[in-house]
Amino acid sequence: MTRKIAIYGKGGIGKSTTQQNTAAALAHFYGKKVLIHGCDPKADCTRLILGGKPQETVMDTLREFGEDAVTIDRVVKTGFCGIKCVESGGPEPGVGCAGRGVITAISLMEELGAYTPDLDFIFFDVLGDVVCGGFAMPVREGKAQEIYIVASGEMMALYAANNICRGMVKYAEQSGVRLGGIICNSRNVDGERELMEEFCSRIGTQMIHFIPRDNIVQKAEFNRQTVTQFDPNCNQAREYRELARKIIDNDMFVIPQPMTMDEMESLVVKYGLLE
Amino acid sequence: MGGPISDVIQLVHAPAGCAWYTWGTRRHLSDFYPWATPTRLTNVAFNRRYCMCTDMQEKDVVFGGMKKLEQACLEAIRLFPEAKGLIIFTTCTTGLIGDDVQAIARQVEKKTGKLIFTSESPGCSGVSQSRGHHDFNTQFYRQIRQLRERRPELKMSEEEKTPYDICLIGEYNMDWDLKIVRPLFEKIGVRIAAVFSGNERIENLVKMPDVKLNVVHCQRSAEYIAHMIKDGFNIPFIRVSLFGINQTAEALRKTAAFFGLEERAEKVIAGEMKRVEKSLAFYREKLKGKRVAIYVGGPRVWHWIKLMEELGMTVVAVACTFAHEDDYEKINARAPEGMLVIDNPNEFEIEEMLKIEKPDLFLTGLKEKYIARKMGIPTVNSHSYEKGPYAGFAGMVNFARDIYQALYAPVWKYQWGIDGAPAKDEEEGSCS
Repeated sequence: MTRKIAIYGKGGIGKSTTQQNTAAALAHFYGKKVLIHGCDPKADCTRLILGGKPQETVMDTLREFGEDAVTIDRVVKTGFCGIKCVESGGPEPGVGCAGRGVITAISLMEELGAYTPDLDFIFFDVLGDVVCGGFAMPVREGKAQEIYIVASGEMMALYAANNICRGMVKYAEQSGVRLGGIICNSRNVDGERELMEEFCSRIGTQMIHFIPRDNIVQKAEFNRQTVTQFDPNCNQAREYRELARKIIDNDMFVIPQPMTMDEMESLVVKYGLLE
Repeated sequence: MGGPISDVIQLVHAPAGCAWYTWGTRRHLSDFYPWATPTRLTNVAFNRRYCMCTDMQEKDVVFGGMKKLEQACLEAIRLFPEAKGLIIFTTCTTGLIGDDVQAIARQVEKKTGKLIFTSESPGCSGVSQSRGHHDFNTQFYRQIRQLRERRPELKMSEEEKTPYDICLIGEYNMDWDLKIVRPLFEKIGVRIAAVFSGNERIENLVKMPDVKLNVVHCQRSAEYIAHMIKDGFNIPFIRVSLFGINQTAEALRKTAAFFGLEERAEKVIAGEMKRVEKSLAFYREKLKGKRVAIYVGGPRVWHWIKLMEELGMTVVAVACTFAHEDDYEKINARAPEGMLVIDNPNEFEIEEMLKIEKPDLFLTGLKEKYIARKMGIPTVNSHSYEKGPYAGFAGMVNFARDIYQALYAPVWKYQWGIDGAPAKDEEEGSCS
């Protein structure tokens, strides 16, 4: 059965990097069939898989050539290890409605049957925070059933993660979507692991993996590659391999219990005073 | 509000469905203009004949509709070069995605020299149609002010000004009401420099703040702009009703008093009264004692309570779609004892009202007329009239005639009513 996964997290936290590296590890080390649907209007969720090749987005195709021109052949590209990639695309910042673009693109892909049953994993890579109904589209009925939130030990990342959980609770009952865990994309801040673990236990989930900071990720990105493709034997590739394994074996799916603002503040104070 | 302006293009920035039911809907009419050329056979006045739409599609929503809007404005102006301006109306869709229509309006004005206005009042932004009226008033006033600063040559020239200039606010030329109203004011010696907004040209509306007095007829949809002009330009306004003999006379007296033209006004009123006396006497005889229910937008309820009394009828029930507190104050001040008042009724409440009050006549619109007629109650189209105009002295005769024809139509002889009770008096059905 296809597992549909949505990746959320604060803007700039490394969602797309983590998600592509995880997808690459799933495909390379475990032979999984993966599709990535990028839901960010910037359309940068698949460049490491496709080796930086510019991809024609669903919304651009719709705009330039009309709805009939949107076909699987046209908008689904195959990259590293046979990973399939789709980008929703969307407007320039400040105009139009990117959320509506996400809704349109996902609906079109469903109609076209792009989410084939032979896939093991589908990843929806979603822009930053949940800003409007459109960005919650991947967690609605029949779409993603699992959510992973990428965060780091910085307060703003945790605020965002908590906020995403609040958005998620709304949909959890009706669509059955569950939180699979929080991926810590380390920023090397003090007490990061402890803070993250406490945060996870407070909202009732797990820190599924702690990804240490390693410059090889950036190096691979400069080469338009995931770490797994760039150097499958390096430490960092092993970390992503481990994350991929944990996701495959994951059996802890919960409805999160987001913290109140007061609780968040007290957590800030507790870890802010550590030194 | 913008619809009755005769020489501007109405452009709805929305999916095509939002511009449905816009062509030729209401009888706010306007003149043939001298700038109609022999090659164009149509009356080039725009109001309610045409309405343009940007036809927003999914892709325009996602990527923003501003380019499409600009293109649509330019296309519309190219198609109708005789139009003096254009009003862009936003809707829920374009309001939500936040298209900067004011920026587009400025760009199009720069490119074409036409007067471009915007009216941003998405349906989702507030209750009832009245919110839209309010928004239009506020935004139109603000844009007129800016326009007068930007292009001072559009203000009224000193040569054009007279000491007797008024602006008639809240008069929409429903079925040519203005053909009756305008001469009345002219006869007492004032000049109507602008009408907001029936059969009016946009260039005259820009001159609204140059008059001496604002006379406000519809006090729901347009009093806002009178207040703003008073605050911004120190021009006073008076409230009037131009329906019914006494109310119209009162309106002329009030206006005349402001300019010291009382004597002329009395002469005009006396002359007009004499003209309509005989006809009205006939209708009063036929209509006396009839019981009336009224359901309209708002102000006409109180405009007409007194008018019905002048015809010897009693208003037993009234309802409004979008009346505010001040409308109900005016209604209550005029209400006869025991009159039923309903705010924004639904279909079932209307039906119940008709069943309980059993009026002889229901003054209402097109949607509600069917239920009433099936119950054996005649109706008169009270939004855009049957055979108007209904305003002023002569309009009163038309109104009385239409009521008479509705009440005495031979069809009621055969009408049983849905309760199976043809309890009508003998006179009914004996159309002379």
